[in-house]
Amino acid sequence: MRKTSALLAPLLLLATFAQARAALDEPIKPLPLALNPNPARAEIGRLLFSEVGLSANGKVSCASCHDVTKGGDDSRVHSIGFNGQPTAVNAPTVLNAALNFTQFWNGRAGSLETQINDVVQNSIEMGSKWTEVVATVARNEKYRASFAAAYEDGITKANIQNAIATYERTLITSNSRFDRYLRGERNALSDDEKTGYAKFKQYGCVACHQGVNVGGNMFQKFGVMGDYFARRGKLTEADLGRFLVTGEESDKHVFKVPGLRNVALTAPYFHDGTAATLDDAVEVMFEYQLGRVASKEDKAAIVLFLNTLTGEVVHTP
Amino acid sequence: MAGVAVVLISILAFLYAKTREHDASSYFENVALLRQLKQLDSRWELDVLKSRMGLNSNYDSLVDPLSDLNQLREEVHVVVASQKHFAVEALAKANSDFHGAVLEKTRLIEHFKSQNSILRNSLVFLPTAADDIQEAMKSGGEGDRVVLARAMASARKLLLDSMVYSQAPSDDKAAEIQMELEALETTKAKLPAAAAEGVGIFSAHVRTVLREQPVVNELLSRIAAVPVAARIDDLDSLLSNEQREYGSQAERYRWYLLAFATALAALFFYAAINLIRSHGVINRVNQELQRANSTLEQRVLERTDELHEAQTELVTTARRAGMAEIANNVLHNVGNVLNSVNISAGLIGSTLRDSKSPGLSNAIQLMNEHSADLGAFLTHDEKGRVLPRYLGKLVVVLATEQEIIVRELKSLTNSVDHIKDIVATQQSYAGVTSVIEAVRLPELLEDALRINATGLTRHQVTTVKEYSDVPELLLDKHLVLQILVNLIGNASQAMGSASGIPHRMTLRMDIAEFVDGRRLRIVVEDDGEGIAPQNLTRLFVHGFTTRSNGHGFGLHSCALAAREMGGTLAARSDGPGQGAVFTLELPVEIAKVLQ
Repeated sequence: MRKTSALLAPLLLLATFAQARAALDEPIKPLPLALNPNPARAEIGRLLFSEVGLSANGKVSCASCHDVTKGGDDSRVHSIGFNGQPTAVNAPTVLNAALNFTQFWNGRAGSLETQINDVVQNSIEMGSKWTEVVATVARNEKYRASFAAAYEDGITKANIQNAIATYERTLITSNSRFDRYLRGERNALSDDEKTGYAKFKQYGCVACHQGVNVGGNMFQKFGVMGDYFARRGKLTEADLGRFLVTGEESDKHVFKVPGLRNVALTAPYFHDGTAATLDDAVEVMFEYQLGRVASKEDKAAIVLFLNTLTGEVVHTP
Repeated sequence: MAGVAVVLISILAFLYAKTREHDASSYFENVALLRQLKQLDSRWELDVLKSRMGLNSNYDSLVDPLSDLNQLREEVHVVVASQKHFAVEALAKANSDFHGAVLEKTRLIEHFKSQNSILRNSLVFLPTAADDIQEAMKSGGEGDRVVLARAMASARKLLLDSMVYSQAPSDDKAAEIQMELEALETTKAKLPAAAAEGVGIFSAHVRTVLREQPVVNELLSRIAAVPVAARIDDLDSLLSNEQREYGSQAERYRWYLLAFATALAALFFYAAINLIRSHGVINRVNQELQRANSTLEQRVLERTDELHEAQTELVTTARRAGMAEIANNVLHNVGNVLNSVNISAGLIGSTLRDSKSPGLSNAIQLMNEHSADLGAFLTHDEKGRVLPRYLGKLVVVLATEQEIIVRELKSLTNSVDHIKDIVATQQSYAGVTSVIEAVRLPELLEDALRINATGLTRHQVTTVKEYSDVPELLLDKHLVLQILVNLIGNASQAMGSASGIPHRMTLRMDIAEFVDGRRLRIVVEDDGEGIAPQNLTRLFVHGFTTRSNGHGFGLHSCALAAREMGGTLAARSDGPGQGAVFTLELPVEIAKVLQ
């Protein structure tokens, strides 16, 4: 191991600077144009996504907190559950959520279906029981017919989850300007935006916000170079992050790195929703994650770049 | 027998099923599955290394295998749980160990991603951070040049040491860097603000490298140490062992099957040989049976003939017995009566013989002698004087004789009547005893001819036979014979009246089909004296005869006999000297005797 690392040392230094070489091997990949989910099932999922019958008192649906027209979340610091209670964390966007390697800020759900399963039963968010949800859905004739057509065994808990997840898999926001740039359209970005992207890489933002979803594929401690929570104060259980899942000391304040696609639409930012604007968020990131100092122009350029990550929602309700 | 066969077949089927039981294709699928897993795992590890090297620009390649890994892991789980296995516990344990190893690896790689990003950012930044200090010092202006220079040198040394450390972390180097950091920290206080800030940032990142490098290295070695591949190999070897077990088991069962099949084959051959032998036996027995059957048939035929003869004898005996009985009856009864007839006849005879009627003729003669003087004779002759008294006595005696004769004649008549009665009675009996038997007509005709042989020869009669093929018929043989004898006898005698010339008698026999059934037709034609037309009508009347010594019974009894048998006897003649044709027709049944 040591011999090989000694041999490859110069390569390491070279490779790290080689990142800015060409648009071919970028750390951010363009979105796939489609995930090709089953259209019949996606359609059922689309209807169920706005179905208030999924909540215990019929007051909220998935769309209440994850509004596809508003960037896939609500614009609140914390969302409001079925009984009017605030949720523990800021709602992440549903757009491109299919590309995240886990769901929830602390990554406790391994799939979209698991996330749907947990939210419906969450005592603050939807507070329902699956038996009731199945019954409610089954009472609707249109659902009965469409489920019978799309699924062999009709209306079941697994099929409802699958339908909604199938719909969520259609929410891939392709054709952002940055993606067009990545695919070879040199003029999709302005020079300032290109500079912003270069800075994004140079300062090391891309070390965590990388991959096809510009993030969403790893965990990271919130406050690497500085103690973010000490500054913010008012610790809540949700602030413990991954520790709530693994129980390991080293996982305290560790969260899933959120994907930055459509970030311009998903204010406020962070799990506690404390950053109201992108500028605020970039500030916090520089201080606590990067431990770097950057000029105002650089930060502004990065924000410009972040704005190019907004794509189109292919299926509009 | 069927039960034994069923048991044998079921044993055979069981053994065969046992040899086929384990489907080796599932083993190969499982091995391929495990191989896939191993490949995925090693590629995953490689990607980790590449990320460490900086050859991977993002962590998607460390995340993408997860879904495939999980899916394959699920399939392995299914294999372990659902399929039939020998070492179920060992496999389950190996599977859970493998699962644990995968989870461990996943966890470590998550940590690696987090720590590696931090490390890389700091490492990459260090040269820039050092340059920033330089920049800050240049632009800073005030401050001790020497201090600044020394700080710069220190920073550059730290940078170098950090780089070296990052390549070859050691505790010595770490301690060295730590010391330098502390030294730089004290120097920082003397620096202008901008430079100090730069130094602060720089130091922070050096510390980060110091902290993170060993962590990342340790994580890497731990990731490499996670025995995922080993666990997969465990599963593989367990499955292979199992496959071997199955193989040897199948082998064993194949031997059993072979042995059993050989035994069955031997049994089969044994049975086949037995079958062939028994087939031969059966054939032989069959042939013997057939022979016996034909012999039996022969014997039956012989017996039938014997029975036939016996029957014929019986019939004849019965007839004879019947005849004897009648004869006896008649003889006895008639004999009795004949006695009295004899006596009466004798008495009448003797009375007549000893009759005194000649005395009367003597007296008359005497009277006639003395007819000239009859009166004087009667009164003066001594003989003449007794004559009236003698005649008077003679009258009494003759009257007595007449009485006796009358009396005896009456008795005689009575006896004859009695005899007639007896005979009539016997005749009525004769109607009841008719015996039907199977008769061969040609033989019967021969018999009739033979009986009349002397007459036919004497009268020089040539017999022409025109027989058609007639089967055995059920008839009263003797009755028919009687008729035939009569007819042939009559024909013979008709031709005999003009003897000296050859004559011809034609005998025809056939069966004619009529509306109301079949009839036997026998025709006796002669070219003799013929029958006068006025006699034709009286031909069959009782007592009619044209012969001097005939009694007239023959044709009558023949006609009666024919009628008795339900048939007819007819006569035809063109006139005297034209011959005659007698036709006997009898309804018949073909004899079906002992076929």
